[in-house]
Amino acid sequence: MSATGQLDKTAQKVILELRNLSKRFGGVNALIDVDFDLREGEVHGLVGENGAGKSTLMKILSGVYSDYDGQMLLNGSLVRFHSPADARSKGIGMIHQELSIFPHLTVAENIFSGTQPLTKANTIDWKTMRQQAAEYLKELGLAIDVNSLMGDLSVGAQQMVEITRILFSGANIIIMDEPTSALSLPETKRLFSFIEKLKAQNKTVIFISHFLEDVLQISDRVTVFKNSRRVAVRENKGLTKHEVIELMLGSDSRMLLQAYEEDTIASRNTPNQAGAVTLTVHNLTYNGVFQDISFTVRDGEILGLYSFVGAGQLKLAQCLFGVEHPSKGTIEFKGKITKLRNTRHAKKLGIAYVPENRRDSLALDKEIFKNVTLVQLDRLLPIFLRRRLEIEVTTEKIQATRVRPALPNLPVGALSGGNQQKVVLAKWLVKTPELLILAEPTRGMDVGAKEEVLELIHELRSRGVAILLISTELETILANCDRVIVMHKGHLTAEFEGAQMSKDNLLLHA
Amino acid sequence: MKSVSDKPTAEVKAVASRRPKMVSWLRKRAADLAPFATLAVLVIFFGLASDSFLDIYNLRNILSQIATLSIVATGMTFVLLCGQIDLSVAAVATMTGVIAANLFSEAKLPEIVAVLAGIVVAGIFGSVSGWGTTKVGLPSFMMTLVAMQVANGAALFISKGKINYNVPPLLKSLGSEYLGPIPLVVVMGAIALIIGHVVLTYTRFGRYVYMTGSNRVGAELSGINTRLVIGACLVISAVCAGIAGMLNTGRLGSAQSYGLDSFLLDSITAVVLGGTSLFGGQGGVKNTVIGLLVFGVLSNGLNQIQLDIYIRLLIAGLILLAALLINNYALKLRSVETEIES
Repeated sequence: MSATGQLDKTAQKVILELRNLSKRFGGVNALIDVDFDLREGEVHGLVGENGAGKSTLMKILSGVYSDYDGQMLLNGSLVRFHSPADARSKGIGMIHQELSIFPHLTVAENIFSGTQPLTKANTIDWKTMRQQAAEYLKELGLAIDVNSLMGDLSVGAQQMVEITRILFSGANIIIMDEPTSALSLPETKRLFSFIEKLKAQNKTVIFISHFLEDVLQISDRVTVFKNSRRVAVRENKGLTKHEVIELMLGSDSRMLLQAYEEDTIASRNTPNQAGAVTLTVHNLTYNGVFQDISFTVRDGEILGLYSFVGAGQLKLAQCLFGVEHPSKGTIEFKGKITKLRNTRHAKKLGIAYVPENRRDSLALDKEIFKNVTLVQLDRLLPIFLRRRLEIEVTTEKIQATRVRPALPNLPVGALSGGNQQKVVLAKWLVKTPELLILAEPTRGMDVGAKEEVLELIHELRSRGVAILLISTELETILANCDRVIVMHKGHLTAEFEGAQMSKDNLLLHA
Repeated sequence: MKSVSDKPTAEVKAVASRRPKMVSWLRKRAADLAPFATLAVLVIFFGLASDSFLDIYNLRNILSQIATLSIVATGMTFVLLCGQIDLSVAAVATMTGVIAANLFSEAKLPEIVAVLAGIVVAGIFGSVSGWGTTKVGLPSFMMTLVAMQVANGAALFISKGKINYNVPPLLKSLGSEYLGPIPLVVVMGAIALIIGHVVLTYTRFGRYVYMTGSNRVGAELSGINTRLVIGACLVISAVCAGIAGMLNTGRLGSAQSYGLDSFLLDSITAVVLGGTSLFGGQGGVKNTVIGLLVFGVLSNGLNQIQLDIYIRLLIAGLILLAALLINNYALKLRSVETEIES
């Protein structure tokens, strides 16, 4: 227990405490010796980069992981949750970023999902359910009709109904994971005044977010994670965004230095030999997801698109490959304004797209060669299949992309995740594309595979391919891109080049 | 770069050889072998239980009985492989038979025109189902269910419920004559299966069908026109059904607005019995052939043995259930085996 746990107020009572908590996955440390204390009635902000340990901690608190070292004390007594249900029954509720709601049921049904009041005949007591739900909402000052369908509400309202449900099923500690990522500014304000109300009722909130302004606005205290360790706990008073970023990155951060000071990385980022403009996006808008996005990508350059999860970057990628159709704005490809009709059209023009989820682009039960040749099969052969040709082409491509094992007849599903991703790349290299759109190309890969995939991307860059690299991983963006644009909740907020490309700058604008 | 590829090959081989090769091979092939085993068991059983079953005339009989069904099943294989279903095959078959006969006998069109018109009408039905499934986005289940209703209605309206005995002679001869010892319908059925097999296994379109069925989003993101692929499969299915329906009028010597209903469930049963997945991407015409034979042997065999006629249908149902369960188990064995290997 830290020195702050003094004898000032009853409101300062510590209700949850972690001591020397550690968690390992195989040989990887996810949390190292973490101490953490939560005071009753406070809003506690939790910040850190991707992979800093926030989500592991959250999963331990909400009962998803029960095998960890160290102690958890709830109201002073030692506990260990064995399941999410277990944690819930002890009063810890969790609001996930992706809300777990029933969109086709009413608000009342959502509030009482699983615990519907029953009549004597053991049927659902609709009247009591509606009345109680209305009372609950009123008690929290929410003007939401209990009979409206959950799916018809705004995301912000759905979130508040979800919080209501959790509160009245007995939670007094609420963990919110990125609650503001999908909210507009007025909705965020409404959520914050709602959280204030919860505080007034002595409920405790853990507020996990990438959005530092939001954290600083609502939290009483802020805990910062870095590289699996808790590096700081600060009272919010007087804390600035810059200080928090510095704590998150660490002034001595080796990563930071490597990313743009040492020669090793700089040598990979050979001077920008960017040629003609390949893609110009002008005021592109997809109603409700992103607005007025404009940028260019040139031959032989890697343009990074950095943002947090859910900023609209994936929908943007889909619009650039003809999967989705933008509501407004133009796409200019090689000097010609183009309306991408569908994925075939995009492919014919020479656009390649590696989606964020590789299962979205591979038939896992089919052989590697069938997957690799699929994209250009119509160019390889007119009507009848030629197995030897397919195997030849595939062998060449999967050796070039270093798929292991490089056996064209193996089902793709038998490969590791990293190698599957290399197969996705091989698919698009059967004919070298003019523009390559990569969404999270290295997510979930081990270091070796990651390095190989990135090397491959740089090889394509030096061959003059225009590359748009979309990622939520700072290191990936900083170490590989010639320029970076930053998206924040559907808007383009900044563009950086050269020495301006720094973690601080990116985080500041995302 | 080249040297990298050699070592892993050896590794994979080493892993594979840790298990007895034969067992591993059998487990992997279990899904393909299970329908064969079912067929073998049925043939042996009926061969022992009945004197007449293995008679050459009876075996030919079995082939005749499944001949028109095999044309429908060929089309159904395409549809199931791309992950869709066609509930309209029986109705389209009936309707096409009625239309061809009617155009020939009432409209006095040349028989070849009547037959081609029948094929065109069937194709139109398939295209509409395809349009509804891909462009509108209705489930093929619903779209072809409605097509079934419309086709049934059209058959009834055109025939006015009467039996038309004036069937085009071309269809009559295809339906009842022999090529040497083999009935022409059997030849037609075999041709349909062979063409289906070649298209699915050796053409680009066939590859697209499998890839669309295996992962439609993936195929779409690879720039494949999956709507066109699915639409084409529904057209193929409808045309196959139409041809089968017309041949059937030739076989019976009459066209009528009822009597072919069993085509629907029988064709789906035969295709799935052979091991083709209802969820798409797995299976093929080879499987359908086995499924058809299992189906034919079962229904013929039960007629050959001394069995209360009122219990036959029940027995047939139970045997089909058992065969499906065995198939499913075999499929699981294979996926386990693939995982172990990787």
